[in-house]
Amino acid sequence: MKESLLEILCCPLDKHDLELENADYDDEEVVGGNLVCTECGEAYPIEDGIPNLLPPDMREETPA
Amino acid sequence: MKGQEWYQADDIAEEYDDKRFSQGGQLIDRREKEAVLEAIMPVEDRKVLEIACGTGRFTVMLAHQGADVVGLDISAAMLQQGRRKAKNADLAGTLEFLRGDAGRLPFPDDHFDTVVAMRFFHLADDPKAFLEEMRRVSRDQIVFDTFNRFSTRSVYNWALPMGSRLYSTSEVAVLLAKTDLTLVDVEDDFLLPYGLYRSIPNGLASPLRALDKAVGELPITDHFASVSYWNARVR
Repeated sequence: MKESLLEILCCPLDKHDLELENADYDDEEVVGGNLVCTECGEAYPIEDGIPNLLPPDMREETPA
Repeated sequence: MKGQEWYQADDIAEEYDDKRFSQGGQLIDRREKEAVLEAIMPVEDRKVLEIACGTGRFTVMLAHQGADVVGLDISAAMLQQGRRKAKNADLAGTLEFLRGDAGRLPFPDDHFDTVVAMRFFHLADDPKAFLEEMRRVSRDQIVFDTFNRFSTRSVYNWALPMGSRLYSTSEVAVLLAKTDLTLVDVEDDFLLPYGLYRSIPNGLASPLRALDKAVGELPITDHFASVSYWNARVR
């Protein structure tokens, strides 16, 4: 993902803003790190350049 | 959601495009792309979200046409295919992929101009909830397709790996009304189900499709079409 995607993404649970933490870059692309909700603190991982915004209850039952 | 595990397996994702859009599948692919473009062009600088984007055949096409596109899917394997495809493509607009739940979208209200969901509603266990969530993030337009109840699709349905939810026209009309959406246009097509087109060789696919179209243009056959393409506006 490009960092600019952050401007439109929000937490799927409470729709609050997300903050990028521990970002890994490949040129201009963010390929790893976490998107953390500024309200509830839930962390959404960026996996191989694709952010995983599945709510936590779906993350475990859903195979990668 | 039906077929979740089948859909998310790596080997299914890798062969997905080859398998689904070879031979007669190409005719379907072309018709679906035409339906989407017809409904939403011009897309230049429009913000478009595609739900269940899979390997990104619509998202890449729309970004190529100049739209700023976000593709959302539940399957990481499918999305990685899309990401690979986008890297090699020459795009006038922008394209981002992300993994998420169509029932709880990670976007603020009214963010997109258009929300597209192709080959999605036949897998939806709660269509009204999904349509409401799509409407929440769209300020103008929603485009989707359905497989129809009173058609050859009913016969072919039992053989599918994912199963399929079929809709009647009135069911969709009620869904739109309940979600505060206005129908702009609906197109019915394919008297013969997609699966038949995918299973026959190219030499047969085109003549069969020509026949399908010709018969489909007769006024009485609308009701028996296996697919409908819906174009709705936010009220």
